[in-house]
Amino acid sequence: MKLIFKITLLYLLITLVVFLLGGMITHQVIMREVVFEEQRFLTERLTSAIRMIEHRKLDRPFERDKIRIIPLDGQVEETPITFSDTVVMHATLQRMEPHNKLDVIKKVGDRYYSISLYDLIIEEDDISDGVNESLLKMYLLLSVVVLVLGWIASLFILKPFNATLEQIRNFSLKKNDRIVYQKSNTREFDKLNKFVEEMTDKVRSDYQSLKEFTENASHEMQTPLSITNGKLELLLESDNLSNEQVSLIISAQESIQRLSKLGKALSLLTKIENKEFESVEKVDMSELLSKLLADFKELTDLKSIKVETEIQDQVCVRMDSTLAAIMITNLIQNAIRHNNEQGMISITMTDKKLTIRNTGEALKSDPKVLFERFKKDNQSKESIGLGLAIVKKICEVSSFNISYEYQKKMHCITVIF
Amino acid sequence: MKLLVVEDQAELANNITSYLSKEGYVCEWCSGYHQAIEKLAGFDYDIVLLDLMLPDGDGLDILRFLKKEYPDTGVLILSAKNALDDKIHGLDLGADDYLPKPFHLSELNARLKAIYRRRHLGGTHDVVFNEITINTETMEVTVNGKPLDLTRKEYEMLLYMVVNKSRVLTKQSIAEHLWGDYMDSVDSFDFVYQHIKNLRKKIVQAGGRDYIQTMYGSGYKFNPQVS
Repeated sequence: MKLIFKITLLYLLITLVVFLLGGMITHQVIMREVVFEEQRFLTERLTSAIRMIEHRKLDRPFERDKIRIIPLDGQVEETPITFSDTVVMHATLQRMEPHNKLDVIKKVGDRYYSISLYDLIIEEDDISDGVNESLLKMYLLLSVVVLVLGWIASLFILKPFNATLEQIRNFSLKKNDRIVYQKSNTREFDKLNKFVEEMTDKVRSDYQSLKEFTENASHEMQTPLSITNGKLELLLESDNLSNEQVSLIISAQESIQRLSKLGKALSLLTKIENKEFESVEKVDMSELLSKLLADFKELTDLKSIKVETEIQDQVCVRMDSTLAAIMITNLIQNAIRHNNEQGMISITMTDKKLTIRNTGEALKSDPKVLFERFKKDNQSKESIGLGLAIVKKICEVSSFNISYEYQKKMHCITVIF
Repeated sequence: MKLLVVEDQAELANNITSYLSKEGYVCEWCSGYHQAIEKLAGFDYDIVLLDLMLPDGDGLDILRFLKKEYPDTGVLILSAKNALDDKIHGLDLGADDYLPKPFHLSELNARLKAIYRRRHLGGTHDVVFNEITINTETMEVTVNGKPLDLTRKEYEMLLYMVVNKSRVLTKQSIAEHLWGDYMDSVDSFDFVYQHIKNLRKKIVQAGGRDYIQTMYGSGYKFNPQVS
């Protein structure tokens, strides 16, 4: 529900309570005024009745509509004016109606008279009906006006807020441009904009330093490794090295190479995560796959691995071409590395998916973690355990699906484009 | 051959110069952008080894300067950045080759010699070693004048060993030279062994001497002093 409607509804609810209380007060006030007026009216009529008695020298009982005067005999006390309610036959309506009644015993001239005056009461429920009806109509009018005007006003008042939302939605770290907000005249929105501005600036600078760190870490690591490797190579050149010394040097070199590859793979992974490979283009996967398979032919021949391919021509996929090459290379490499001697690799590609099957021992670890970093099934020395993590990451940024299964003694990795 | 090594890491430069000095190259070293520009303006070099990340400037600017002022000087970029953009950019600007760190010094040597051969076309494309002659343009190899039928990889391996003669070449460095980065499995070492075996056999059968000496551990040496 829109904020403005929520606020409006809440406002209407509060108004309803106020209207109910207001209705009761109005009712009471009106009632009081009416009773007061009625009594004043009766008192005025009493004055004219007394004048009439004086004028006519009334000595018989007098009864007309809404008036009854009875002359009293003997010595009677005068009484104060009393008001009461009673039910009297209404002359024109011909039915009993509630009336106000004034009773008094008054001495006019030298006789005492009992005077009763009636007047039609304005009924309480008539007043209630009137009050209710007018309040209800007012309330309905108020609701409609508030809803409509609130909606229109919100378009103007919330304009800066919506603009901010739009800017946040379009915010991208890669574009690397600052979000600059227009000043609104609402303090809350200015505050919000200031926070968002500070936050996005922080995010941008953190992202920037993370990227730089990745680059620098890779650089700073490669240089000392390069130096060490060179020193070892120079050491190898020296005379009179024993065989043990040579093999120590070589094994040290191998470890350095591994470390260097690890650094490169990690930095590649971070770069893919940072979405630094974004030059999406049409990549001819069929051509790429055939080319890379040819590159690996020597290796498969060496391990006597039979490679069967069924590649549809001109399968084109939209992705970064560098990532495409890395993905295919890693998948083929993986299929060769975890294969048996005299094993088999079967590659099928259609324009929907790429399937690479290879023979090999079943996984000892959980297949679910196969694509995670450093989850190597066998701690084979030459593998650094990042190949499939990189493939997974590439699939993620290219919106492909990747899955693994082991069936008929074959590892099967499927990439769905 | 006269070389200028532009590299801010003194130890790395030290490795390079001491390794290459044994080849009889004249190596000079400078550690930064300004020093490099000064040296290049004052002296002639055959090849410049260029690190792209320098403390006081961008290596690519040195490359631009060289291509403008001294187009005859060869340039080999050494970089730890390993960013593909840098590589492509560098080669586009006219660098002869690009070698990511860390590298084998023997690989560096082979690349330098290849650049030198390409740049100094005055004479011949032949790399001659005793009875073995390697034509780097046609990729033909002869032993005592008789052509030797080598596969592509055997040819590359022979050339690599000949330009790095008398040096210990580890299987790792040979494998990387032949297959690049993606051949990282131990299998490639067996593969190196296979190729070495075949190459040896072919040379000996053609009447050449067996210069390839197996070093204990996992290395080889192309030894001119073989009896």
